[in-house]
Amino acid sequence: MSFRAQGTTLFAAILILVASAVVLQLWLLTVSMEALLSGEYKTLLPAAAGSTVLLAVNAGLLRYVFRFDRDAQGE
Amino acid sequence: MNLETDEKGCTNCQRAAKWRQDFPIEWEGDHYVSRREMVKFLTLGSLLLALVNWATVLASRFLHRGSKVERYIGLASSFDQSESMLFRYPTDEDPCIAVRTPEGKLVAYSQVCTHLSCAVVYDKSENGLFCPCHHGLFNLDGQPVAGPPTRRLPRVILKQRGDKIYAIGMEG
Repeated sequence: MSFRAQGTTLFAAILILVASAVVLQLWLLTVSMEALLSGEYKTLLPAAAGSTVLLAVNAGLLRYVFRFDRDAQGE
Repeated sequence: MNLETDEKGCTNCQRAAKWRQDFPIEWEGDHYVSRREMVKFLTLGSLLLALVNWATVLASRFLHRGSKVERYIGLASSFDQSESMLFRYPTDEDPCIAVRTPEGKLVAYSQVCTHLSCAVVYDKSENGLFCPCHHGLFNLDGQPVAGPPTRRLPRVILKQRGDKIYAIGMEG
């Protein structure tokens, strides 16, 4: 299996993780909007913090993808 | 076109320019590039979602900007036990209700029911705030105890100076 073929499989797995995190972020956003419109402001900060944590996870995975791609090009 | 496959099965990998690697002619290479780009795209979406989420936090600070206004609502001596008084806070479009509890404590809430926005009234027999539209009932802590409402009433923070009562803020 070539290095890039391994990358294809790896990227598919990463894609599933990132997509799941984005779905969670969408859910957090709907919760935030509902809380904002109903005046439940206590919910907003934890939801935004949770969304940021998920963004950090996604950014970490993207960084890994970039590093893998750089290695694949240098191979 | 000079296509060379190395011992690892990678076609033209080492010699092709980056732009050429991003537009491969084989399915395997195409899957590699499309999945990589999709991860980038979704992470950008993730960034936007996080930013919008923080925007809701910012928006909450501006939506009720009038809620920090101090407003005179009445005299404490005019309140008997188990009586209520209507007032407007933070603006003239926001009806509120103040109640002197049987224990003598003064509490105030938004008069807008959290179910479908009917006006709640003080019910002495139930010792709570009653919504006549769908028979919702809130206790004097603002918590829903009966009927369809599921969220508490927003509380108005009161401050007493001498005999005068002022509304000084709202709690979600």
